[in-house]
Amino acid sequence: MSRQLHLNAIYSAAGGYLGGWRAPGAPDDAGLDVGVIADQVAKLEDATFDAVFIADLLGVPDSHPDVLERVATVNDSFEPVTLLSALAARTSRIGLVGTVSTTYSEPYTVARQFASLDHLSGGRAGWNVVTSLIEAEARNFGLDAHPEHDARYRRADEFLQTVYGLWDSFDDDAFRWDVHSGIAFDPDALHWLHHRGEQFSVEGPLNIARPPQGRPVIAQAGASEAGRALAARHGEYIFSGATRLEDAVEYAQDLKRRAAALGRSPDDVLVFPILSAIVAPTRAEAEDRYAALTALLHERVALGDLEYWLGDVDLASLDLDGPLPEVPQTNKSHTSQRQLIETARREQLTIRQFVQRNISAADRIVVGDANDIADHIERWFEAGAADGFNVGFPTVPQDVDDFVTLVVPELRRRGLFRTEYTGTTLREHLGLARPASRYEGRAQAA
Amino acid sequence: MSERRSIDFGAMFSPSGHHLAGWRFPGGNAGKELDAAEAIRLAKQYEDAGFSALFVADVVSIWGHQLDSLSRTTRASYFEPFTLLSAIAAVTSKIGLVATATTSYNEPYTIARKLASLDHLSGGRAGWNVVTSVVPLEAQNFGRAEHFSHEERYVRAAEFVDAVEGLWDSVADDAFPRDKASGIYLDTRGRRAIDYRGEHIQTAGPLNISRPPQGHPVIFQAGASETGRAFAATYGEVIFAAPRTLDEAKRYRAALDVALQAKGRRHEDVRVWPGLSPIVASTHEEAKRISDELNGLLHNDVLRRVIQDNVGDVDFSGFDLDAPLPELPASNRSKSRAEGIIALARSEGLTLRQLAVRFAGGDTIGTPEELADRIETWVDAGVADGFNVAFPYLPGSADAFIEYVLPILESRGIWRPHFGATFRDTLGLERPGLTTADLQERAS
Repeated sequence: MSRQLHLNAIYSAAGGYLGGWRAPGAPDDAGLDVGVIADQVAKLEDATFDAVFIADLLGVPDSHPDVLERVATVNDSFEPVTLLSALAARTSRIGLVGTVSTTYSEPYTVARQFASLDHLSGGRAGWNVVTSLIEAEARNFGLDAHPEHDARYRRADEFLQTVYGLWDSFDDDAFRWDVHSGIAFDPDALHWLHHRGEQFSVEGPLNIARPPQGRPVIAQAGASEAGRALAARHGEYIFSGATRLEDAVEYAQDLKRRAAALGRSPDDVLVFPILSAIVAPTRAEAEDRYAALTALLHERVALGDLEYWLGDVDLASLDLDGPLPEVPQTNKSHTSQRQLIETARREQLTIRQFVQRNISAADRIVVGDANDIADHIERWFEAGAADGFNVGFPTVPQDVDDFVTLVVPELRRRGLFRTEYTGTTLREHLGLARPASRYEGRAQAA
Repeated sequence: MSERRSIDFGAMFSPSGHHLAGWRFPGGNAGKELDAAEAIRLAKQYEDAGFSALFVADVVSIWGHQLDSLSRTTRASYFEPFTLLSAIAAVTSKIGLVATATTSYNEPYTIARKLASLDHLSGGRAGWNVVTSVVPLEAQNFGRAEHFSHEERYVRAAEFVDAVEGLWDSVADDAFPRDKASGIYLDTRGRRAIDYRGEHIQTAGPLNISRPPQGHPVIFQAGASETGRAFAATYGEVIFAAPRTLDEAKRYRAALDVALQAKGRRHEDVRVWPGLSPIVASTHEEAKRISDELNGLLHNDVLRRVIQDNVGDVDFSGFDLDAPLPELPASNRSKSRAEGIIALARSEGLTLRQLAVRFAGGDTIGTPEELADRIETWVDAGVADGFNVAFPYLPGSADAFIEYVLPILESRGIWRPHFGATFRDTLGLERPGLTTADLQERAS
């Protein structure tokens, strides 16, 4: 069988496009209705998506009130792990991936939550490891400032090592439940972690059996130097923010090369570029829907979005017909900031033109009929930019419905995408091996 | 004159039974601690029977480091409460969902959000059992060599709950007009930072989710020491109490009412739910036989641990189970509990084995009528607004209680299924409302 691609749904209950919550068919409560979300995710499961992914922030960004009053998701969203747990009870096959920050959590808590979700879902949990982004997150967790970029990544690395150790607390066959002898588990199959590191001191063991997947799948999106190093070392399910094919190819090849240098198989590092699609039965209808979509985004919000990703800079008070000013390096995503600045310089945009370009999301939304979208996917897939796609839905439910009814059948017709699930766990969907416990085959510690 | 208020039953989540040897009981649920389908089946059974709440206890470690006894119990591997209850929220519609979360090893922003999220997921059915942690291992999983002292952890707990309630009140009920036509999602006057700065806890806010449907998820508490009781009187709405006799229960309720008055709250603002672990059979003798069979399944190592876990970190391994309780040093664990247990052993001259069996689960045995009488006595004495029911073995003890005891209570007018639109409504507790106008007034 030819190589097949994977599909991850990056699901935002209010729609992924900043103005998407205003779409005519979008839910009036902008997504705080688990019944509506569960129905959408059931459609994605019927379409054999590998996983649904819920992103997260631990606070409300410091954007201007004129911006905040016009956006949905950052103001008003479910906490990911609770939402995914609810979805676990309403689905049976689709993977459940959620963001949790290593900067503002404790390893024991996070190891437990994902182990618990993995048991609840029969092995479908994935953890998107982030180091957090914004100053408001620091203030919500008792810090005056967000820790600097490289320090966050050092903490993330030790955090992950600690979590892996906790997941191996019990051997896979530790639990006997022998009612006759009264032995619930074999004491020799329990392992104390005794972790004493630079950042964490964790005794263990975790208070839950080893997860069905051994380890829930590790998702990562690091794009900076420190981020790529972390992704190459730990990541299995890599979100790529690249919006140009050559950048996406460079990113995928670089990550796989780095992973190989660390002794990992490049096949165990799956790269998922972002893909947002407006698809309709005809190209003309898709263009009409796209025009209607962009009319929903207020200019001040699009400007605020640029201010945010450039590092909370004030653009609104500048001459909008002038060029983008010099901005200092942000403590948020270095890569997102750099991409924006490069785009503005390359295309010699004024601030006003840049805002219009952001409204059109021209480099992030693909518009067309099913063939157009499938052509895009196939081109990126064949070029080595992608093992799969992180599919965003600008509005819900419309763009979910259109993608699963129009694009997925076309991908299947081309032999690029599965027609049914062949496994039950997320690892099985992704073709990733179940990791052995660090204690497997080792003589019992004295 | 209004009809007498029904009492409430909460069911403690314990999928293979709450009795320490319950998982070994013939026909029982051995090996189902992490069985999602069984967890959901139980939750639905309790909901269908009219239980007001499902309660999930929690410890953020295994329940002790003595593996000889721990390996003979279900207390080393269990679901994390928020994930479990969120899954159950998706397949139930009426029962309250109470998660235990410690204030010692969490951050208030995280807990405020999880509970708000669970409250939205469940349509207003979330509750929070506030604990301060007791097992020494918990500290060591969170970078501390030792647990906070008893007093210190209650200082932290008070700041923590203040901060969580502050975060729930950082967004007004009407903060989100979500007007598609104008494009205005948020009325910024309906939201504010709280900038909470305590000795232990700092958090700025605001919360990044709508105010919970219940305003505040319902606060549960179990503190029984003097410090714990003052804490419960300040924050608690439903109190899990562990009196072992009716007299003890009366003293507890009286002391709580005094503490409530000192905090400017009324008797009816706080519900007290004593624990109940029922073994019901058609004859008293048969119930006693089941109880004996269950206790006979307790290994000697487990019996020693039961006492040790309740009275403090004393090594009982050399002690004779059939001798009286020896002299013991003071403990940093739950003070009231240790003192009560020691007093019980002394007053009744119990051996360690006899004492341990009292704490293993299955403390109320008898016929359906006897169980109903016992419940009625406590309700009539004004010491129980409900009961937190820990079924000692499953599915048998729950099936029997639901089939035989509940109908008697219903016919006597003590209890009936009485779900409201939200968990607060079910419990008859007021919803703390907060409008944008309220927020503006507070700010001025």
